[in-house]
Amino acid sequence: MKEGTPSMEGTEPGSAIELDHVTKRFGDVTAVNDVAIEIQTGEFFSLLGPSGCGKTTTLRIIAGFEAPDEGRVLLQGNDVTFVTPQKRNVNMVFQAYGLFPHMTVAENIAFGPKIKKRPRDEIARRVTEILRTVRLEGMEDRRPAQLSGGQQQRVALARSLVNGPAALLLDEPLGALDLKLRKEMQLELKELQMRTGTTFVYVTHDQEEAMTMSDRIAVMNEGLVEQLATPRELYSRPASPFVAGFIGTSNLITLRIDWRDGGLVGMDLGEGERILAPDPGDGAPTAHITVRPEWIKLASGEVGPRASHVGGTVADVVYLGSVTQFIVLLRTGERLTVHRLNDEVALVDPRPGDRVILHWAAEHSYVIRPGRTEPPRPDLRTDPSAADEH
Amino acid sequence: MAAVTTAVGRPRRTRRGVFGIMFAPVTLLIVLFLAPMLIMVQMSIVKYPPDVASGYTLEHYQTVLTDPINLRIAWTTLFIGTTSMILMLAIALPLGYYMVFRAGKWELFILLSLVLADELAPVVKIYAWQSILGREGIFNWFIPGPPVSWLLFSRFAVVVTLAATYITYTTIPIYAAMKAIDPSMFEAAIDLGAGWWTQARKILIPLAAPGIFIAMILVYIPMLTDFVTADIVGGTGSYMMGQRVRDLILSGGDWGSGAALNFVMLVVSIVMSVIAYWLARLNRIER
Repeated sequence: MKEGTPSMEGTEPGSAIELDHVTKRFGDVTAVNDVAIEIQTGEFFSLLGPSGCGKTTTLRIIAGFEAPDEGRVLLQGNDVTFVTPQKRNVNMVFQAYGLFPHMTVAENIAFGPKIKKRPRDEIARRVTEILRTVRLEGMEDRRPAQLSGGQQQRVALARSLVNGPAALLLDEPLGALDLKLRKEMQLELKELQMRTGTTFVYVTHDQEEAMTMSDRIAVMNEGLVEQLATPRELYSRPASPFVAGFIGTSNLITLRIDWRDGGLVGMDLGEGERILAPDPGDGAPTAHITVRPEWIKLASGEVGPRASHVGGTVADVVYLGSVTQFIVLLRTGERLTVHRLNDEVALVDPRPGDRVILHWAAEHSYVIRPGRTEPPRPDLRTDPSAADEH
Repeated sequence: MAAVTTAVGRPRRTRRGVFGIMFAPVTLLIVLFLAPMLIMVQMSIVKYPPDVASGYTLEHYQTVLTDPINLRIAWTTLFIGTTSMILMLAIALPLGYYMVFRAGKWELFILLSLVLADELAPVVKIYAWQSILGREGIFNWFIPGPPVSWLLFSRFAVVVTLAATYITYTTIPIYAAMKAIDPSMFEAAIDLGAGWWTQARKILIPLAAPGIFIAMILVYIPMLTDFVTADIVGGTGSYMMGQRVRDLILSGGDWGSGAALNFVMLVVSIVMSVIAYWLARLNRIER
C-alpha cells in the first residue's frame, strides 16, 4: 500500500487493522488517547515515539493483551475488542523474543500450529518452509541459547509468521542487537515483509529505523498520534514542533512576520538580513517554521531574492563523516544547526569564531501549523457509517 | 554416600541458575546428616550393636529385607509419602506461579508466611491438625450431617498433615525456579494460542522442573522417615517406616535391624530422587 491509492478504500474491508478511537488509561495516566488508525493490508506500519508515548500499549491493545477503555479494535473488518489474544489472528514478536528455552528451534516454531491442531506432516512442512524463509535451515534442533542474537530474532519471527497471521506485531524487536546487526536486520525485516506480503506493525523509538523500513509512520507523543504520514512527509512536512524535533535534526524558529509579499512572509533582522517563509495565509502575526540543517547553505557569494539570508558566528564544528555539522550563533541569540555535505576533497571548513553567511530558499522554511493535523490521507479517516457495515 | 553427592552434584552443572542458589543449603544438609549417618551405617553391620567389638555381619540386612511386615509398612509409607508429595505439588505449583507472576506486593508476605509456618514447632502443628480433623474439629463443624470419623487417625490425616508440614520446603525451591522464568514466555505462549493448561504443561512445569526436583529431594527423605506425624494423627492403617525404625530401636532395642532398615530407606530415597530428577529432565526436553 503506497501513496496514491484511491481514497474510497478506507470504507472497504481492505484494512488489516483498524483502531477506532481507542483510549486506554492506567490510573490517572492516559496511555493511549483517542487513537484512530487504519492499517492497510500488506503495509509496513510503524508506531514511533519516545518511551512512555503509548506506542507499546497501542500494540498490546491490537494483540489483545490490554483491553481499551474506549473505542474498538477491528481485525480484517471484524470487531475483536473483547476477543482474547489466543483467538486473534495476529502474532507478536516480543522485545526479549520470549523464545521457549527448553524447546528446540523447530519445537518453538511448531508451538502455534500444534495448538491449532494442524496435521503433523503439515506442521513439519511449514516449519521447514518458514526456516528457509528466515534463512535458518539446519538449525532445527538447536536450542535458543545456542543461537546468536540475530538468529534468535529470526526464530521469533518464524514462530510468529508460521501461523500466517493477518498482521505481525513487532515490539522493538531489534532493541537488543548491536548497531551493525540492527542495520542488517532492518533491511532483512523489510525484505521479509515484502516477500511474505504480511502486514507489519512495528513499534520503535528509533526514528531512523522507522524511516528505513516503514510505508507509513504514526508518530506518537503522550498517548496521542501527532502525525500519521509517509516517512518523506514526516520529514519534509512535520505537522507539529514535536514531530519536527523527533524526526531528524531540525531548526525551529519562531518568525515575527514583518511583511507579506508575493506569497511570502518575512522577518527583517537588519543590515539586509532576513528570514523568509511561504505565507501560511492565516494572517497571524507570528509563524513557527522548521528548517532542516542540510537545506541551509554556507555562502560567501550573492543570495537570491527569494531566499533567507542571515549572518552568524560559528560556535562549534563537528565532523560527522559524510557531513560536517556547524552550530551557528545568530545575532538574535538563536542557534542554527547546519549540515554541509563533504562531497569534495578540498573543502575548507570554517572554524569556531569565523563569521559565516547562511542562506536557504524560502520554500525550505516549512511552516508548522498550530494544532495536531489529521492523517494526510483522506481514506484513513474513520467514517462512522462505514464502520457499522462490518 | 557417593550416591548422594552424585545426585546433587550433577544437576548443578546442567542447570546453573536454580542449582546455583540451591547448592549451599543442600550441601549444608548433607554435611549435617553425614556424621550421624555414618554412625548408623556402622551400627547396621555390627553384630551386637552398640558393642563395636562384637564383630561385623550383614545378617541385620537379611532380617530386615525378608520380614514381610517391613514390606507392607514400606508400601504404606510409600503410598502416604507419594500421595502427600502429589498434594504438595498440586498446591506448590499454583502457589509458586501466583507468588512470582501475580502476587505483586504480596509476594514477600506470602514468602515470609511460608517461612514462619515452617518455624512453628512441628509437634504443635500436628496437634493443631488433630483438632482440625477430629470428630469435634473444625472440618466436621463445616460439613453437614453426622460427624465424619475417618478424617483423623487415618492415612488421610497423615497425608494432609505431612503436606502441611513440608509445604514450605516444596514451595520455596519451585518458587525459586519460577523466579528465573521470563514472564514474556507466557505472553508469547498466549499469543500463539495457548490456554492456561497448555501454558502450565508446556511452559511452566518444564521450566520449573529443576525446582520440583529439588523440592522432592528436600521433602521425600524426611517425610519417609517421619514418625511424629503418624504417631499423633495416624491410625493402625498408617503405620510408617519412621515409626517402625523408632519402635525397633527404642521399644525392641534392636539397633542392628533399626539401623539396617534406616539405611535401606536412605538408598530407596536416593533412588527415588534420581528417578524424580530423570523424570524432570525428561519433561523438560519433551514438549
